Amino acid sequence: MSTNSISRALDNRKFLVFALLAPVLAFFIVFNTIPTLWLLGLSFHKFSLISGTPPEFFGIRNFQDIFFNKNNIWGDLRRTFLFVVVGVSIQTVLGVLLGFLFWGSKDMPGRRVALTLLFTPMVLTPIATGTFFRFIYDPTFGALNFLLSGLFGTGVIDFLGNPSIAYWAVLAVDCWMWTPFMTLMTLAALGSVPKAELEAAEIDRLSWPQRVSMVIWHHGKFILMLGILLRTIDAFKTLDLIIPMTKGGPGQTTRLVAVELNKQSFESFNMGWSSAVSVLLLLISIAMTSIFIYILNRRRKAG
Amino acid sequence: MPQRLRTTLYYAALWLVSLIFFAPVAWIILSSFKTRNDILATPPKLIFSPTFENYVDLFTRSTFMLQLINSVFLSLAAVILAVFVSFLAAFCFSRFKPKGTDFLMFLLLSIRMLPGPAVIMPVYLMYVAFGWKDNHIGLIFFYAMFSIPFSVWILKGFLDGVSTRFDETGRVNGGSWFHVIFKVVLPQVKPGLIAAFIFNLIFVWNEFLFNFIIGGVSTQNIPYALAVGAYADGGLNWTFIATLTSIYIVPPVLFIYFFQKYLLVGMTFGTVRGEV
Repeated sequence: MSTNSISRALDNRKFLVFALLAPVLAFFIVFNTIPTLWLLGLSFHKFSLISGTPPEFFGIRNFQDIFFNKNNIWGDLRRTFLFVVVGVSIQTVLGVLLGFLFWGSKDMPGRRVALTLLFTPMVLTPIATGTFFRFIYDPTFGALNFLLSGLFGTGVIDFLGNPSIAYWAVLAVDCWMWTPFMTLMTLAALGSVPKAELEAAEIDRLSWPQRVSMVIWHHGKFILMLGILLRTIDAFKTLDLIIPMTKGGPGQTTRLVAVELNKQSFESFNMGWSSAVSVLLLLISIAMTSIFIYILNRRRKAG
Repeated sequence: MPQRLRTTLYYAALWLVSLIFFAPVAWIILSSFKTRNDILATPPKLIFSPTFENYVDLFTRSTFMLQLINSVFLSLAAVILAVFVSFLAAFCFSRFKPKGTDFLMFLLLSIRMLPGPAVIMPVYLMYVAFGWKDNHIGLIFFYAMFSIPFSVWILKGFLDGVSTRFDETGRVNGGSWFHVIFKVVLPQVKPGLIAAFIFNLIFVWNEFLFNFIIGGVSTQNIPYALAVGAYADGGLNWTFIATLTSIYIVPPVLFIYFFQKYLLVGMTFGTVRGEV
């Protein structure tokens, strides 16, 4: 086709819409839709890559097994849920406090450098973060043990080896990584409050709690909610932070659902079972996406 | 308290907070200049004679250059591809709103909400069946697919903010759609393109699981090296880990320094706009 006939073809609206969407659709059909359908199909099969036998139709056995807690899957889900709730709560509270603290810092010298340092944790790959926290947590030569013993006289603590501490040690790293994100969202939420209203509140001599509840909350709540939701979804997926630190151990104490799914798929190669778990997670993530979009639309309507 | 002292104290407190958050990273960078004995010393040494030996060792490792080149090549290729096709799709969604736009936008987003192993498991089976595993092209295509949702969401947000009058004026004056899209509209969403580009780049640069599962020895990137190559002499090779981590964090940190005004849009799928 010559350039001329291409541009004439592009004048046809239907063709144009198709031409613009085609590349993205092609990517999706090949690398997402087809694999997802395959996944759906496999979830009704017994299929292990190790045995070398072709998939065997299994009906809803895999889902029955999930329901009856095979492999302690509900334990993984419970731990994940706790990880999300506790982690996101701590990050939100700390992040909001820090956000308020940083609110008035527009003229601070070196602000950009300071914020870069603050935001660094969230752009590092969790694999690296997990690995170097293992170094910091180490019972014999780790910096943290040395610091705590020096300050509080605690004995040697094996953060990642002690079953009753490991979970919280991993959670603490997650909080270190993502509290800055909530600070970022809080700064955005505070930035969305119109200056005029804040000045009016100051002239009216509203107390701080009143200012927060009457002025700031009204404008900032949507951005904060989006932040909490994005964190919730992301915390739910936590995997590569755990791999270098504990691999889900000691025992099952840090075995979150993504960690176990990773192990079942790529170490034990139980593809049928993993597909069924993936389908369950797919449903959960669709639900969370819906909530996210619902809040987004409400924000648009509220202006 | 005089105003100036209060301001100084306030700024000092903010700096302290930032430094506390950066401290673990600083500790790793510091460790990369230590000898093996200094790293494993008890109590940990804050004062030591720095050495560049670890960096020399790393750069002479036969696999390091391969990993570095792979990291750069995979992320650039995948992201350029993704941002380009996403721009076209986002333009289409924003201007023509074809039937099912909302549904497609929803589907795109939901892919990014799914835990990694659930996304990659069926793709792994497909790649094994077709023999695409451990192949740069296969990995780039997958990374591009995974970068598309984020790019479409960011770019649609920016395109919705560009008035359709520009398109109309361009069309009335006899410009082709090609002209309107690339010469009239594209320059106006440059911030969106930059944000999509930078944050996808950081994502692919940081990506481990997909590289590990559908990639392999010839496509290994730096996170892969950190996860796999960390063991030596019957234990973790801390000098290697500290040095490699120190090098690998340079690009993301520089990005968030130079592109700080895009940080917000980049971390929220373009759903929140503004500067911090």
